Amino acid sequence: MIIPRTIRRLQDRRTHKSGPWANLFESYDGDEVVSLDCETTSLEVGQAEILSIGAVRIQGKKVKTSDRLDIRLKPPASLSGESIKVHKIRASDLVDGIELEDALEQLLNFIGNRPILGYYVNYDIRVIDKFLRPLYGFGLPNKAIELSHVYHDIIKWKHVGGDVDLRFDTIASKLDIPIIQRHTALGDAITVALMYVRLKHGQSPSHTH
Amino acid sequence: MTDSFKMDNIPFSLLDQQEQALVNTNLDLAYFQQGEKIIAAGDVPEGVHVILKGRVRESEAGEDQQHVYVHYENEDYFGGWSALRGRAIHDFIAEEETICHILPTRILLELMQSNALFADYFQQDFAVKTEIAAQHGKGQDMAEFMLSKITSATIREPLIVDEGTSIRAATQLMRESKADCLLARKGGRFGMVTGTDLLDAVVLKGLALDSDVSDLASYRLVTADPDDYLFNALVMMTRQQIERVVVMSGQTLVGVVELTDVLSYFSSHSHVIGIRIERASSIDDLREAAQGLNDLIKALISTGVKIRFTMDLLAAMNGRIIAKLFDLVIPVDMQPHVCLIVMGSEGRGEQIMKTDQDNALLFRDGLSWAAMQQVMNSFSEQLISFGFPPCPGNIMVSNPEWVNSVGDWTQKLSDWAETCEGEAQMKLAIAVDAKPVAGNQALFKVARNWFLRHLRNNDVFFSHFARAAIEFDTPLTFFGNLKDKAELDIKKGGIFPIVHGVRTLALEHRILATNTYKRIEALIESGQLQEKEGKEISEALSLFVQLRLRQQMRRVEESDDGFDPTPNLIELQRLNKMERDLLRDALQVVKSFKKHLTLRYHLGG
Repeated sequence: MIIPRTIRRLQDRRTHKSGPWANLFESYDGDEVVSLDCETTSLEVGQAEILSIGAVRIQGKKVKTSDRLDIRLKPPASLSGESIKVHKIRASDLVDGIELEDALEQLLNFIGNRPILGYYVNYDIRVIDKFLRPLYGFGLPNKAIELSHVYHDIIKWKHVGGDVDLRFDTIASKLDIPIIQRHTALGDAITVALMYVRLKHGQSPSHTH
Repeated sequence: MTDSFKMDNIPFSLLDQQEQALVNTNLDLAYFQQGEKIIAAGDVPEGVHVILKGRVRESEAGEDQQHVYVHYENEDYFGGWSALRGRAIHDFIAEEETICHILPTRILLELMQSNALFADYFQQDFAVKTEIAAQHGKGQDMAEFMLSKITSATIREPLIVDEGTSIRAATQLMRESKADCLLARKGGRFGMVTGTDLLDAVVLKGLALDSDVSDLASYRLVTADPDDYLFNALVMMTRQQIERVVVMSGQTLVGVVELTDVLSYFSSHSHVIGIRIERASSIDDLREAAQGLNDLIKALISTGVKIRFTMDLLAAMNGRIIAKLFDLVIPVDMQPHVCLIVMGSEGRGEQIMKTDQDNALLFRDGLSWAAMQQVMNSFSEQLISFGFPPCPGNIMVSNPEWVNSVGDWTQKLSDWAETCEGEAQMKLAIAVDAKPVAGNQALFKVARNWFLRHLRNNDVFFSHFARAAIEFDTPLTFFGNLKDKAELDIKKGGIFPIVHGVRTLALEHRILATNTYKRIEALIESGQLQEKEGKEISEALSLFVQLRLRQQMRRVEESDDGFDPTPNLIELQRLNKMERDLLRDALQVVKSFKKHLTLRYHLGG
């Protein structure tokens, strides 16, 4: 999946270099990262509809929760029993939601050209791209940082010969990071942001269970 | 922001919804490595830091970091003072990996402007904080009804008759107005006449029906102020064994409070136990009444009666049990020649659960009473059977060392005062809290007054006596260790320094009260303590006693034999955030009181 996206990004960049969203395609040289998470109706990109989007900026060692994105969307037709069980989001929770178009615009403005961080971030990016491309003609051009890869790269040296457990809750508990509002987009985005800051700036986690 | 920030923790719980929303939208999260300086002395802090996870120490600036002031951990906040002052004067360092919420100074100032209570909490001293916490807390230490004052609701309009009213007319009047007492005016004074008085006068004394009621009246009225707590009226009635109290506002008669009215406020029947104690005609009756006391205490604590009132009531009850036992055990012809005193916490009126017996007997010089020690032994035994545990230091009347003639007693006191040895000092500390409970109180007063005069201006003694109060470290750095099994001995760390320090000051200024709170009040009145300081010390002591009591009761309930082997232990992880905050502040109060003592008695170095 990674190679096609890279190629597409180059294409998009060529096409939009002088458009209204040109700044998204500039390479980023700041020190900020945006932690992003979406709650969706399905784990299949093809069927998934976005329910909510949460994002926070990370600035050095700080998670700027005061400057955050916490969007709920209008309930999609496909809101099904299965995903309700995971997210505990019912149609009635989304009555105040905004339109997808508005949400995407807010999201683009919030992220800018900063790298996007997430847990299985490619999934979130692909879902967003699915809705973004028909409207804007491009997918998110930002560099993606996969939390579980960052974690894996640090942990694997100490885990010779074994698989690294990359489950969300395992990583959080290994890093001794409190899980903030699990299964809300903003909560997961903040938790991931804290885990990232911890991995980047803290000592490598110990391996006691 | 999210559920990770607890808005129901004080002081943020003082904010209204809109203000809390403001906090919510302005919080940031920051991550600090172990050993990282979060705020360095001299820095302008970003704002108040509230710990989400981790541990932070506040310590003296500089590289050597020798002196740690305080530890903060989960849900604690720090840096508020520094933010308000503009610059930090101490270093704040992450002792372990720490994640903090940060509320910017700008928002803090905004909130302090819009919310006076919040501002108070951030700026004020400990006494104000406890008050705010008490009003906004879950009412752990004060139930609404405890705060009811002796105001209009319970005050009865008194029935007043003039001098010269006959017994017959008075009785008629009482029947008509369904009163069971009246006040007779004689000159400018009022005297109380009860139904019982009338009955006694006519039936027992055979007075004529047209005799003047004002001659029957008792003019030594027990009075209370209308602003006083109703509970105090109850304590007064229990102590004086009466059923009504006259309410006076200054010199003006306001009305009468009846026992039945007061009782209707209290579910537990303290007075009923009091009556049972009084009516007990045998030791078995008395024992049964004494055993009802534990339930009463539990009821009072669980309904949230303020700890000081509970102690007052209990002291009154215990005093009466002991006095009654004295009546039953000591032969009537010997009673005027001896005086039973209680000492230590009992003498101060500060015991809550039934504490160890600390008692002694004084007798008239030259009294010959062969069976004395034998009677004393059985007295101690009876008290044990009532549920007063024996004193581990054997400070009780069954030990001949504590049965003395007045002359021997004063000699002992002055001997103890002259030695610097620990046991003598401890005995003296116990003895100077003595209070007479039964027998001839004059014997006690003679000894006490002699001793107070004896100590006058003896600076060496006071300096030595005071030293014990500063002996134990104030455990302020304890708080960081919550993860380990953090416990602290609250007696050593908080209660004893206050009680002993106040005791020393009181002794030096010849204050007769033995109760620590009353001593503090007297010290404030005589200018020896500043009012603010005195109040803070009182509040701190109340907090310690209350936290201790709650943990004691829990341990007693969980144990099989109803015995708590570690009565002075405070397990920190059982405290909530607010209690930890208050405890920390209270320990600061102790620390500065100890500093005061050190200066006052030249204990430095």
